[in-house]
Amino acid sequence: MSIITIATSKGGAGKTTIARLILGRLALDGLPVAAVDADLNHTLTDWVRAASKHPIAIEHELDETRIVPLVESLHEAHDVVVIDTAGAATQATIFAIGCADLVLVPCQTSSADIVEAIKTVNLIKSASLMMKRSVVARVVLTGYQPNTNISTHVEAEIAKANLPLMRARLNRLVAFQEMSFTGIVPTSGIAGAQCANFIDEIASLGGIPAASKLAS
Amino acid sequence: MGKKDLASVTTDLSALASMMPTQRPALAVAPPPAPAPRPAPIAAPARPAREEETIQFSLSMRKELRKQLARLASEADMTMRAFVLNALKEKGLSVRDDDLFDLRKERR
Repeated sequence: MSIITIATSKGGAGKTTIARLILGRLALDGLPVAAVDADLNHTLTDWVRAASKHPIAIEHELDETRIVPLVESLHEAHDVVVIDTAGAATQATIFAIGCADLVLVPCQTSSADIVEAIKTVNLIKSASLMMKRSVVARVVLTGYQPNTNISTHVEAEIAKANLPLMRARLNRLVAFQEMSFTGIVPTSGIAGAQCANFIDEIASLGGIPAASKLAS
Repeated sequence: MGKKDLASVTTDLSALASMMPTQRPALAVAPPPAPAPRPAPIAAPARPAREEETIQFSLSMRKELRKQLARLASEADMTMRAFVLNALKEKGLSVRDDDLFDLRKERR
């Protein structure tokens, strides 16, 4: 029974890819999972309805006044609810952060991604202060290219900005791109291993109910 | 599964949210999401059956790397050739399932 919000004010950082990975892998493991798509582009909704081969309940909701009741309702019947937000800081993003047990902030290896990740983490801190409870947040490096100068530089900049960073990396892999067409979340090869590590770390952060954690 | 109490979230965060743009105007003009036109599913490129020539390709490496490769391939129950091709597939090489066949068995 947990809620994972995926948010960054930068578009194209990998929010929907992360949502697909989490929802698909947990659904494969037999967990009842649901998603709220608060993005104008409804990319996640389209993927779940038209491409995904996994049992995922999905609701597209742009109206910020309906986000919290909708999440509350989905949460009754599902172990994990994932909220995918728009690529901008909106009112819906704030309420999605407020609902979350864990907020994941995707960040590709670019300057703009780091800038928006910093803004988003600051927003999460503000929300935590106003709710008088701590919301766990982690930056996730996406589109990662290991052993490159740019990746090393981005990691150093993230450390300098004191952003909480996940150990798991999601590389720029063909399998993750194929997933948008095939609807199938990778379970083998490098992509499958990265996805499994990613899910394990989310579980260790409390993003997946303890009784439902994937057998690794 | 229990119901999570999120009742205070809206109250607690209303002031912060009011400083942010709303998506509601967009909601007013946007129709409900219809299934978007979808690109065709990805498929392996058509290939004339077994007409394409198979070529030999050799590469040199340190002896220790060759040992590691043999061990990793063995652990994965694959030939070294299939293991290498599978790794290259992850990097975007268009490797098909039949490319991973164990050619040694075909010769027996």
